[in-house]
Amino acid sequence: MKIVDAKGKLCPLPLIMTKKALSEIKENETLKVIIDNDISVQNIRRFVEEHGMKVQVNKNNNIYEILINKTGHIPDETKPEDYCPVGENKLSDFVVSVQRNRLGDGPEELGYILIKAFINTLPESELKPKTIIFMNSGILLTLKDSPVIDALKKLEQTGVDILVCGTCLDFYKKKEELGTGIISNMYEITERLSKAGNIIYP
Amino acid sequence: MKYTILIFESIHNVLKAERIFEANHVTHEIIPMPKEISSDCGMAIRINSLVTNIERITDMLKKDKMDYQTFEKETE
Repeated sequence: MKIVDAKGKLCPLPLIMTKKALSEIKENETLKVIIDNDISVQNIRRFVEEHGMKVQVNKNNNIYEILINKTGHIPDETKPEDYCPVGENKLSDFVVSVQRNRLGDGPEELGYILIKAFINTLPESELKPKTIIFMNSGILLTLKDSPVIDALKKLEQTGVDILVCGTCLDFYKKKEELGTGIISNMYEITERLSKAGNIIYP
Repeated sequence: MKYTILIFESIHNVLKAERIFEANHVTHEIIPMPKEISSDCGMAIRINSLVTNIERITDMLKKDKMDYQTFEKETE
């Protein structure tokens, strides 16, 4: 079986790789495409289903395996880029690292209003972060009663990963009150930071 | 979504209004001053007019003698 590893690749690359691989296999042969983000899975599914092929998707942790049986044909002129999300749901590769529930060094009240405004602005930005990481007092912004919980949930729905430091939740004894995102650890956090294109520290 | 955006003269009034809203359990959001309203830097308060009674809010602000302006905004 031909296997395409598109982990770590962002749209439209996985689609370009899939199109090329499909052109290299025979009819009724199966192609396996390995992906690590849900958005690419959905785009490949649309790309392939619109050309008469069905997909089967298996998910293991954060890795998706897409099995495509070549029962159709993708014309050469087809542009994979057309199947990538534009505008509203554009994810770039920048990471936002929120390390306190204040923005800047100054009066607490001002810092609090600034961080709230910052987070509330993100859902409406043209380019949304790939990941938002919350650490130390930053985790307080991810609790169920947080003034920015709606903005964070909206960002999650558009595919932004929200990682919340587990040690910090534990320290504040707020694990049960987490309102959004997933509990993460230093390994995953440092991995995301090191793989980021840009990192924003508000 | 239908929003009413409250504009105040200074950030201090925004902070004061926020305290009033919080004390009265009014759902609100802090947002930057919308570009279409002013090019000045500043913050505004956004209220979802489908969820919160705007008259109740304006009464609250009037009671505390707070000056403000309102703008209506509709988004998808």
